[in-house]
Amino acid sequence: MLPRRQRPPASGPWGPRPAVLLLAPLLLALQGVAAAPAGAGGPEDSPGLQDAEFPSGLLQQAARAALHFFNFRAGSPSALRVLAAVLEGRATVNPKKGCQVDLVFTTDHYNPEVGEEHLGKCSARVFFRNQKPRPAINVTCTRLIEKNKRQEEDYLLYKHMKQLKTPLDVISIPDSHGHIDPSLRPIWDLAFLGSSYVMWEKTTQFLHYYMAQISSVNQWKTSDDAIDFDYTVLLHEFSTQEIIPCRIHLVWYPGKPLKVNYHCQELQTPEEASGTEEGSAVAPTELNNF
Amino acid sequence: MKWILFFGALIGLSVCGREKFFGDQVFRINVRNGDEISKLSQLVSSDNLKLNVWKSPSTFSRPVDVLVPSVSLQPVKSFLKSQGLEYSVTIKDLQIYREMDSIAGDFPKLATRVKIGHSFEHRPMYVLKFSTTEGRRRRPAIWLNAGIHSREWISQATAIWTARKIASDYGKDPAITTILEKMDIFLLPVANPDGYVYTQTRNRLWRKTRSVNPGSRCIGVDPNRNWNASFAGQGASDNPCSEIYHGPHANSEVEVKSVVDFIQEHGNFKCFIDLHSYSQLLMYPYGYTVKKAPDADELDEVARCAAKALASLSGTTYQVGPTCTTVYPASGSSVDWAYDHGIKYAFTFELRDTGHYGFLLPANQIIPTAEETWLGLKTIMEHVRNNLY
Repeated sequence: MLPRRQRPPASGPWGPRPAVLLLAPLLLALQGVAAAPAGAGGPEDSPGLQDAEFPSGLLQQAARAALHFFNFRAGSPSALRVLAAVLEGRATVNPKKGCQVDLVFTTDHYNPEVGEEHLGKCSARVFFRNQKPRPAINVTCTRLIEKNKRQEEDYLLYKHMKQLKTPLDVISIPDSHGHIDPSLRPIWDLAFLGSSYVMWEKTTQFLHYYMAQISSVNQWKTSDDAIDFDYTVLLHEFSTQEIIPCRIHLVWYPGKPLKVNYHCQELQTPEEASGTEEGSAVAPTELNNF
Repeated sequence: MKWILFFGALIGLSVCGREKFFGDQVFRINVRNGDEISKLSQLVSSDNLKLNVWKSPSTFSRPVDVLVPSVSLQPVKSFLKSQGLEYSVTIKDLQIYREMDSIAGDFPKLATRVKIGHSFEHRPMYVLKFSTTEGRRRRPAIWLNAGIHSREWISQATAIWTARKIASDYGKDPAITTILEKMDIFLLPVANPDGYVYTQTRNRLWRKTRSVNPGSRCIGVDPNRNWNASFAGQGASDNPCSEIYHGPHANSEVEVKSVVDFIQEHGNFKCFIDLHSYSQLLMYPYGYTVKKAPDADELDEVARCAAKALASLSGTTYQVGPTCTTVYPASGSSVDWAYDHGIKYAFTFELRDTGHYGFLLPANQIIPTAEETWLGLKTIMEHVRNNLY
């Protein structure tokens, strides 16, 4: 659910918002993918109030980044949230440092039950550092699900996962037609949780990701208490339209912090060098803000 | 010819409101001995997989062709792998082409299947022409483009559903009837046939054409960066390995050139609509610049009306705006080319969803998507009909 674009008044300047610089010219100027010189065909780059459209895309991107981070930190595959709508937002640009987005948005359950209407609400501050990934995020959300209920659901999921017979006989999830077998749905949810960490870490003000498909399940171990899950996921980066394979290894036990290691294939460069991107994390148990 | 009926029935059912799955595949299975034949018989006789033996083995040296419905693909592959049975996947013909043929056959006075060219791998490029006149005069026309990016399967699926909808509703729905009384509609459901086959057989997430790039190991050009509208400008790449590689020059892709030549030769197109996924956006020029298009205000108005009509069915919300600032800068796009060549009503749809399933939209969303999109398309076409220039 995307919000309506915020439109400036029909005539005259944007309005009295002294702290806000409009982003369109800067974003276009900094766009890394263009073959033509930066700023070609764009309006003036001078900072200050401009009579241009506010790119609503940035607010949604910031909201999604905040949710990737939130979902990872919550570490709960049964309580995943997805963006419903951005209610309000503003962006402040410091050309030397980066771009800060403050926003309020609503969320839905990732797996809504039929007829369910629980909209959670979040407020977030997302700071995109110039050209660098891993935006700094400060996010708080109203409770969508009661803590006890969430733990219960997680534990049910965990028990279900323990019952899946190994080795898992799957090729890709979903299949080519978007179908996920109900028995495999928890695997998708857990994979999405691990991928949330990766997607957060890779997000920049220009690059944002979606999880397209689990292309292989390399290992699924439940011999000890925890679920030990090693899989390859295909991430879809929107502005370049690239598909990025990432190998992710996570360890999960309900109520415990999620452990994630990953290794993604680098985006194609003109020299066709194949770099690698690695990262790992353990989610904190407490919801602390930084 | 049992399997044609099977396919035809499957596709025909879609308009009756049942679920439709594209991507049934024909498996060619090698059987080398009696043991393998009995394993295969075990598979085929399994009731719930609904397999259809197309060509049975007469000797051990001949392969068996089995039609596997898309829902059974995974279990069948697993079974074959576990039993050590060798197989390959063959697609004899695109199902969509057969359906186009079927529509032309069912509505001969209205619809004809026209070949406008061929793809890099020599597949035909077929367009369905809907026309209520047989005169040689070129009526004002509407072009509906789909499947230019092969992985966006909801695009081809929506297009073929729309084709049958146009044909079925003519004479019944006043809107489409009056539109067709004044204008012709040309519908290209698979603008990138090579890419489409590739997504069905090798890589579900393939986007580009399958043309060879000399000097590079990477295949394909982004056909929606290959049009002659600020070609090689901002929002495209000169790297053949990139998903948005614009190609060596404008119209280098035969798939693009075929459409350009046809439209230019016709000379009387008034509307060009390109169907993509995903994001739920309805956009108008420009993609190659932030400069406002001369008709932007009118196009914005039309797009808002269309988005409202679309949302009226199931509440699916679309965002509206010029391409460059609504999604991203993109040069060499079909819609910008159309607009700069005098086709005023030029729109891009990014269909469902907003990222949950993305390109892998579940098949049970095909009909709901097509039905709501139809309302949006009709709004645009009605406006064109009322504002012919």
